Amino acid sequence: MSRPAWSRLAVTLLAALLVLFVLGPLLRLLADAGPAGLGEALRDREVRDAIALTVTTATAATALALLLGVPLAWLLARRPFPGRRLLQGILELPVVIPHPVAGIALLLFLGRQSPVGRALASAGLEVVSHVPGIVAAMLFVSAPILVSAAREAFRQVDPRLERVARTLGDTPWRAFRRVTLPLASRGILAGALLAWGRSVSEFGSIVILTYNPKVASVLIFDRFTAYGLPAAIPAAVLLLLLALALFALVRVVQPAGAE
Amino acid sequence: MIELEGLTVRVGGFTLRDITLAVPAGGYALVIGPTGSGKTTLLEAVAGHQRPARGRIRLGGRDVTALAPEARGVGFVYQAYHLFPHLTVRQNIAYGLPRGDAADRRVRELADLLGIAPLLDRPIGRLSGGEQQRTALARALAPSPRILLLDEPFAAVDPATRHVLRRELRALHEHEGITTLQVTHDFDDAMRLGDHVAVLAEGAIAQQGRPEEVFRYPDSAFVARFVGSGNVLAGEVRLAGAGPEGAAPARFESGPLVLEVLAERAGPAHAVIRPEDILLSRTPIGATVRNRLVAVVERVERTGPVAHVHLDAGRPLVAAVTAETAGELALAPGDRVHLALKATAIRLV
Repeated sequence: MSRPAWSRLAVTLLAALLVLFVLGPLLRLLADAGPAGLGEALRDREVRDAIALTVTTATAATALALLLGVPLAWLLARRPFPGRRLLQGILELPVVIPHPVAGIALLLFLGRQSPVGRALASAGLEVVSHVPGIVAAMLFVSAPILVSAAREAFRQVDPRLERVARTLGDTPWRAFRRVTLPLASRGILAGALLAWGRSVSEFGSIVILTYNPKVASVLIFDRFTAYGLPAAIPAAVLLLLLALALFALVRVVQPAGAE
Repeated sequence: MIELEGLTVRVGGFTLRDITLAVPAGGYALVIGPTGSGKTTLLEAVAGHQRPARGRIRLGGRDVTALAPEARGVGFVYQAYHLFPHLTVRQNIAYGLPRGDAADRRVRELADLLGIAPLLDRPIGRLSGGEQQRTALARALAPSPRILLLDEPFAAVDPATRHVLRRELRALHEHEGITTLQVTHDFDDAMRLGDHVAVLAEGAIAQQGRPEEVFRYPDSAFVARFVGSGNVLAGEVRLAGAGPEGAAPARFESGPLVLEVLAERAGPAHAVIRPEDILLSRTPIGATVRNRLVAVVERVERTGPVAHVHLDAGRPLVAAVTAETAGELALAPGDRVHLALKATAIRLV
């Protein structure tokens, strides 16, 4: 064999090893549960409730991230202001903070001991050990993903397109709605799906903020520690299937070329 | 009517300085200048996308300096067209029109006028450069703006298309009677399209006037070089004696080349000499002409009916002769030729 052929073979082998390492455990998990295990998981009321809670809280967190994150992303993409780079860096912090640490920080910030927590509680919103705590943890870890995706999506839209729309009679808001938003929407949607997936997969901060009611990841951990591996598998498979469905959706939505 | 008065615009580190320019109603003016001279910034200021630091903008007699772009009634065509990629040709053209039958008729009218009617339902991604250009023009014209601003409209099309588009644009200008301000780096556009031309250099207007006037009487070396007025020589004027009022015979020295000129004052200057004003001959030329020189032919360029003869007369000079004359003289590199040049044909700037 010639040298280029050798190096090609080496590259292919190394790549194949990593692909196997990623796919192997996932396939093993799917095979282990089988259709019977899946049916069992679906009949299990606790599992069904946990999945439903996960989906609704993740959806709520994503909706909040969209509402608060899209205007911020637009500002970051379009309006130069002092400290913009610093703010951008701060927004990416949750990505590098270990999740239990994020959970503890949120607990201190939103718990009954803090002014914020007390204010929320007196307004009737119990966060810690309640559903809002799950949403708060999910929002904390997933919002940066959405903001950076939306920011990039806005950046891809040439500001001159908005200017043309303005000379054609649009107010700034109308030009945004008719030109910028439609052109950035695929990128924003892809970011929202990734943020949603990040919320569904969150465990470390949720387990500290709101152990009960249990989201799917907490339930799986709970069953594993209380009853052992076999008890955790069916719910785990269900969550994996949910993630795979989301993965497929992101592939469809993501703008061409944005990998 | 477009009136700019002492307009100063700062964008990033760049400043457009003290621009004063008037385009009469229905007129066609061009601003020409090299890349980076501030042409696009000027148009964006007129359209309201850049806020001027000083000066006033009046459109159709109305002061619009403080108005938002959507309140100015201008059409804008960018160099790269900037068509809305998520819309069809029809939706692009109709963008600035209120929905309804009148809009459909206007889209149809413009599409017919610009020859893009068959493309109306195409997505933007499948248009050629020329088709995109026509679509962008139709979109800008659809709301019947009083002012049309064009940013290098021919920069991205091939020469053949450019020719056709220039003719169409001029016809369209007549048809719509719209006051037009175009920026370009191509003086040819100005000669063929404009009633008025302003030459922009590093953010300020170097000269403006009718295109032939600017071409024939450039008042700086920069303008002469940029519009291709001909030979531009750097040198020094020395007056013959204590100069009387007005132009007087003087000497212009550019290194070894010394010319008799008419000058008003001494000092460093540039001499602009049009190639067709230099007479060429194999034998010495009539004694009535003040400047008689001997030069060596370096090369001869034939372009259609005109031949450009590149000469070394101590300084490089280019002379233009008819192809016929070039044939009769049978000039070859290395030949010595006689030149004659009237003092009045040398423009000092």
